[in-house]
Amino acid sequence: MVQDMRLIELKGVCKSFGDTEVLHDVDLYIRKCEFITLLGPSGCGKTTLLRIIGGFEMPTSGEVLFEGKDMTGIPPHKRRINTVFQKYALFNHLNVFDNIAFGLNLKTPEQLGVKTKAEKKAEIERRVSRMLKLVKMEGYEKRSTNALSGGQQQRIAIARALVNEPEVLLLDEPLGALDLKLRKEMQLELKAMQQQLGITFIYVTHDQEEALTMSDTIAVMNGGRVQQIGDPKRIYDEPKNAFVADFIGESNIISGEMLEDDLVRFSDTEFQCVDEGFEKNEPVDVVIRPEDIMIVGEDVGMLTGTVQSVIFKGVHYEMIVISGQFKWKVQSTTMQPVGSRVGMTIVPYNIHIMHRTDMANVPYNIYVPEGASREEA
Amino acid sequence: MVRTHRAKALKGAYLALVLAFLYIPIVIMIALSFNKSVSRAEWTGFTLDWYAKLFQSKQIMAALRVTLEVAVLATAVSTVIGTLGAIGMHAMNTGMANVLVNMSYLPMTTPDIVTGVSLMLMFVFTKVPMGKWTMLMAHIAFDTPYVLFSVMPKLRQMNPNLYEAALDLGCSPLQALYKVILPEISPGIVTGALLAFTMSLDDFVISYFTSNTDQNLAMIVYSAARRGVEPTMYALSTLMFVAIMALLLAVNRRSGLENM
Repeated sequence: MVQDMRLIELKGVCKSFGDTEVLHDVDLYIRKCEFITLLGPSGCGKTTLLRIIGGFEMPTSGEVLFEGKDMTGIPPHKRRINTVFQKYALFNHLNVFDNIAFGLNLKTPEQLGVKTKAEKKAEIERRVSRMLKLVKMEGYEKRSTNALSGGQQQRIAIARALVNEPEVLLLDEPLGALDLKLRKEMQLELKAMQQQLGITFIYVTHDQEEALTMSDTIAVMNGGRVQQIGDPKRIYDEPKNAFVADFIGESNIISGEMLEDDLVRFSDTEFQCVDEGFEKNEPVDVVIRPEDIMIVGEDVGMLTGTVQSVIFKGVHYEMIVISGQFKWKVQSTTMQPVGSRVGMTIVPYNIHIMHRTDMANVPYNIYVPEGASREEA
Repeated sequence: MVRTHRAKALKGAYLALVLAFLYIPIVIMIALSFNKSVSRAEWTGFTLDWYAKLFQSKQIMAALRVTLEVAVLATAVSTVIGTLGAIGMHAMNTGMANVLVNMSYLPMTTPDIVTGVSLMLMFVFTKVPMGKWTMLMAHIAFDTPYVLFSVMPKLRQMNPNLYEAALDLGCSPLQALYKVILPEISPGIVTGALLAFTMSLDDFVISYFTSNTDQNLAMIVYSAARRGVEPTMYALSTLMFVAIMALLLAVNRRSGLENM
């Protein structure tokens, strides 16, 4: 059932540049009309994956299927895909109108559904002005692209791609150069455009908030592999491994030991949890979101600790609490003074247990007392 | 106070001296081209006779023709070769491209006399009769690096995604080249062509060694000077100076505008 909804499918895609492997055996499918985000830190391979879908790079091995047909060797200009590039890549020798009309001008009148050259010209004008309306840039036809602000250039770049009515739009960190407020506006506008036009969007970003705001599906990438793919809520609530947990939102990641089904031990304390199917005494990563830790009185807490720092973040206070050998990041609407002793409580379903990954960069929340050097820790 | 005044005066004097050394000889030459007397020693009144004579001289008019023909053709050919070469090198992997770029620099730094003699040897060796066409070949050879090095920086400044954007919107690789890349780097191409034309227009050494039958203007001035200089040569030199000055001003103005 799901099979026939797949628009693009990547099968075992690997990509190396010289000796460096950038993508390792990526399997991924993209559904029609879906807003999918490839999310990951820089160097995770997300842009390379996008460029392979666009046809700008060839995979070293593996297949890229478009509606079930192999399109691995097809050059970019023959794919029904358009791209919005990171730095806009507008043509500075052309004005706004000619930039947007660029793709349409290359088509024959028949391809635009008209007969004569004059009709083609009128058709192009009609489509361009519709696009300018969509990106809210009416009246800018004759402007030089150099005279536009970053946000305006980005809108033109989006219009230039969308006017060709592609099946798929690729966006490579398109909002990276904009300021925060503009970025938030554009996120909502992009999402609205995607829903209005019913085009598949493949979006690349390193900004987890952006990904959560816009996407139907998020593919979290690291080290050339897809770590987890799913809808935003699922990825946030049920991260598959410590990397995903840390990258999406903030997390406390503690190493622990699974004693039996639904019982885990970390920080020298046993906790009830809701995870099953681990081996007895298997070492695991325990992930707890800062907002899931409740501050209670010292005498009733499951863990006790000392408040090391407090930062006011607007909606809540963010506190670092030292408990045993771990430092816990805790978010709470009530402030506890620095140096005070507090108790902490975590309910079983907020404790997420993950198999150990061999990733060396899992940022465990180890507490290093002041004065102790890193080597000793 | 006194010290700053003195420093200012010293700076001014130094600048005046430098400019005097550079421009007084040219000013004298220009003045003499309007002097009625054939003698260099006295000023006997203003005249345009020498300029008139210049345009009546068949020899000089023939040389003007050779000069312009060679300069225009050499500019056209070297602009095409230099632009395509720059695009090719820009697209290459860095290692090999660096070697090629440095090799292309070499002709610009080689003394003209070396370039001239070696080209002459090549033409003698291959038994090509030396005239306008060998001169043209030589000019293409020394003009091309100037185009190359005017175009290369434009390519480096260009957004690397532009070519891909053109392909993405439906251009074939060739269409992307002439619809996007060439317009984008056109300021560099025009500057390169102007430089090449200037270099070609005033070249003497290399032309002297690579042509026997045809002479360009610089060669005429040289051979006339050996027979004893006539004021027509001052007039010719003045015109060449003005033409080249105008071209260089155009080049500078262009690069000035681009840097704004």
